[in-house]
Amino acid sequence: MVIGRWSWIGLLAVTGLALWLLLGSGRVFGHDIGGLGMTLLVGVAWVSLWAVSRLPAGEFERAVSPGEWKAWIGLGFMLAATAYFLVSLPLMDGSSMAAATAVARNLVLLLVAWTVLSHVVASRWKGQVHEDERDRQIETRAAGWGRGALVIGVIGLAVLLGFSPPDRLQWASHFMIGNLLVFALVCGWLVEYAATAAMYWRDRH
Amino acid sequence: MSGTPVTNAIRRLRFEHGEMTQQALADACGVTRQTIIALEAGRYAPSLELAFRISHAFGVGVEDVFGWEKKR
Repeated sequence: MVIGRWSWIGLLAVTGLALWLLLGSGRVFGHDIGGLGMTLLVGVAWVSLWAVSRLPAGEFERAVSPGEWKAWIGLGFMLAATAYFLVSLPLMDGSSMAAATAVARNLVLLLVAWTVLSHVVASRWKGQVHEDERDRQIETRAAGWGRGALVIGVIGLAVLLGFSPPDRLQWASHFMIGNLLVFALVCGWLVEYAATAAMYWRDRH
Repeated sequence: MSGTPVTNAIRRLRFEHGEMTQQALADACGVTRQTIIALEAGRYAPSLELAFRISHAFGVGVEDVFGWEKKR
């Protein structure tokens, strides 16, 4: 069974709702709605992948390598993770450990879902070559971009902390600095996936 | 990665070998079909190992498949 156009529109609407709940990071009746948004987002991803796996391979799919598919999916997840991290950053000041723990739990859930979904997507190319020297060359070059972004982020944070007057660093608790370092790492991954996807795309055009 | 000075005759050789498909050549060389597409379009220069694999798949020498565009 292949799902129709209206079902795709419905999935898009649920994705919007999921992102709204996820990025809202509020609590309703004592429950973290960010977790509900994350669960919805993972559910939509599962249904979408199931539907895509039922579609016959078209010319577009044949033109896109498994490495490029993985790069675009990774970019989507990293964008969601970065946006969620950015919106949740005010909660990371260490004043509410419960809120920070909920954010961390949702981020871990997102990363686990991404890993599982990557394996599901990879099964579509079962029996075929998933990666070759061209993919590895692209990954190596993209890793350089990611490393560059990470270095810039860490140096930027070090300069900010080192050269700002103490009275303007009230926000910089040890917990916040730790989270900012993790955020720099996430940004590095985001740039790496964006560079990988861009290089594959440029290679096809 | 675009605009490599390494030229190749992969497309011609595929047709001379019973219209071998890109996927069949990719399987014979252990690469993805998209890499064969990039090679044929001149957007990717293969490693020496892949060049030998491709020439072996066609049963010819490396110099019969790959060349060097001197103008660049």
